[in-house]
Amino acid sequence: MAHIDLSGIEKSFGPVRVLNGVDLGIRDGEFLTLLGPSGCGKTTLLRIIAGLERQDVGTVAIGGKPVDELRPSRRDLAMVFQSYALYPHLTVAQNMATPLLLRDLGFWERMPLLGAAIPGRKAKKDALLKVVRETAESLKIEHLLGRKPGQLSGGQRQRVALGRAMVRKPVAFLMDEPLSNLDAGLRVHMRAELAELHRNLGTTFVYVTHDQAEALTMSDRMAVVMEGDILQIGPPSEVYQDPQDLRVAEFVGSPKINILPGEADAGGRLTCLGIAFAQRLDRPAAGAVSVGLRPEHLELRPGGTSGCLVGRLTHMENLGADVFLHVALADGGHRIVARADPTAAEDVSIGDDVWIGRQPGKAMAFGADGHRVPLVAERTSEQVA
Amino acid sequence: MGRSRAHYWFIAPAVFLMILILIAPVFVAATLSFTDYSLGNQSFNWVSWKNYEALTKRSSYQKMFTASLAYVIIVVPVSVALGLGAALLISSLRFGGELYKTVFFLPVMATLLAMAIVWEFALHPIIGVVNDMLAGGCDVGWLHGLLTGAWYGADPMASWYGRGCADDFPLWLGDKNYALGTIAFIGIWQAFGFNMVLYLAGLTAVPRELYSAAEVDGADSAWERFKLVTWPMLGPTHVFVVTITSIRSFQVFDTVEALTRGGPSKSTYVMVYAMFEKGVRQNLLGIGSTITVVFLAFVLILTISQVYFVNRRVHYS
Repeated sequence: MAHIDLSGIEKSFGPVRVLNGVDLGIRDGEFLTLLGPSGCGKTTLLRIIAGLERQDVGTVAIGGKPVDELRPSRRDLAMVFQSYALYPHLTVAQNMATPLLLRDLGFWERMPLLGAAIPGRKAKKDALLKVVRETAESLKIEHLLGRKPGQLSGGQRQRVALGRAMVRKPVAFLMDEPLSNLDAGLRVHMRAELAELHRNLGTTFVYVTHDQAEALTMSDRMAVVMEGDILQIGPPSEVYQDPQDLRVAEFVGSPKINILPGEADAGGRLTCLGIAFAQRLDRPAAGAVSVGLRPEHLELRPGGTSGCLVGRLTHMENLGADVFLHVALADGGHRIVARADPTAAEDVSIGDDVWIGRQPGKAMAFGADGHRVPLVAERTSEQVA
Repeated sequence: MGRSRAHYWFIAPAVFLMILILIAPVFVAATLSFTDYSLGNQSFNWVSWKNYEALTKRSSYQKMFTASLAYVIIVVPVSVALGLGAALLISSLRFGGELYKTVFFLPVMATLLAMAIVWEFALHPIIGVVNDMLAGGCDVGWLHGLLTGAWYGADPMASWYGRGCADDFPLWLGDKNYALGTIAFIGIWQAFGFNMVLYLAGLTAVPRELYSAAEVDGADSAWERFKLVTWPMLGPTHVFVVTITSIRSFQVFDTVEALTRGGPSKSTYVMVYAMFEKGVRQNLLGIGSTITVVFLAFVLILTISQVYFVNRRVHYS
């Protein structure tokens, strides 16, 4: 059983505090993504799990047993690095055999000449070479076994790095932005392949990335890490649709969520740029709030429609299936992005005044502290409508 | 349309100077090595391979090769190993590294000739500080016991230090058994700081992630990680350091000229010193040129072997 439990992990590098007491439970066999901007502490967290970094406070337990005193290799984890970290002087086969050689063969058995004289060494070596070959076959890299990393393409190196991690049959894989050095097309392809690999192996994957698309497409659960804290953890759809923090809402989703200033009155009724919402805050509290509207929850409406955000179209991004409209709102200070149907977008051109309407019930409100404030339907609204 | 010839004029000065001051002298030396020419003579005689035969047959030249090779064989491995060791230790320091770097680099910055004179005084058999200190230790009971092995019951006279105390400490530069070793010691003292700097530069180029990967793969001890990552990743540095140190060791001259003048009994008669003695002091340009050509051949072999055999195996991409 390889559930990994982190409790109260704190870490500082000199005066810089990187992690402020992180608690995280990673379930056996799940694909968990740590998502966050660069410098948020996600890689440090991964290195602490691996044992490459020592936490200041807190414990790491793998399969229920604390591993704080164990060296990285004794934790039975495998790690895939951003730069792949293949040994450039060794062939692919030797690279993949290294973890097995170091684990299964004793110090003397690894000696170049002396080792050959030790009985049983050949059998051990044959066994581990067989594992290397099988792993290479499963990754379709058996034709590369004799080459050196310098002769491989980025995608091939990536597979070799995966192979080196897989040969040990570790209890969990730790991956530190493994796709960020690949070109865009290959990255999308490897996303599918990694997800499939995870399903086939059934092993725990802990995956660090700053690319929200990777987090959304591959993970069973994702944890959004910012400024040394885990802000939210949950399945990708939940994190996307129901962000509990303004920073999470802003980080997850592309194009970015539109944040507009809003106002709540004492009864919790919400207005935003002069538009009254048909919902009110769950807990009545007057004051400023931020209103989040995802681009896909906005749509182009005919001119003159009431209750719309009005502005001038400054830019259009045509992605084929969708067109994203960049609109400078008439209040002068805000710009929003709205998704439109390509056929609907044909009627407008840059410089036009456009009316952007909201799909009902999709807005999110965040309090002054950045926390999500639930919205509930105004009791009277249905009667009014 | 005819092509302009201007490019020939542009490269002409550089090519001319290169031939005049770099390539021609080599050919002149090669030609002179087949003659018995002396500076000032009106003419010379062709002597065919006689000079080269002399190099292989005469015992003073055999001593020359022995001295040069012995010097290289002592200085290269020791100064490379010390340079690597110092670089590894310094790069593992959290603070104080700058101080060590400066201290170890001092001999490199100093003029070797001036330093040789300082060593001459330090190693002087009568007024030198080295023998003074060694002799001082003889009167300190525990130190004498420790260094001679008398502590664990060994015969003091069986040890080098014991005999030194009883008789006299070596003459160092005046003793043919010690002179080359002493010159080599000064060579190491001078060279290893330079190697250390080269290795420090090489170490900064080793990706940190490789060490993490090695640790996760099970290279638990520092020795395992050194074997798996540091040593192979320093490949290009090794080649450069060993080649440079070898060439510089073959070139040793200042210390020999200042301290021993090839003696005693030609035990420190290294090639460049022989070149100087024959060609300049004794004005035997023919034999001096012969030594030069052989010396060049040695250096050339070293360089070519670096380019063709070793470089291919240490550059991995």
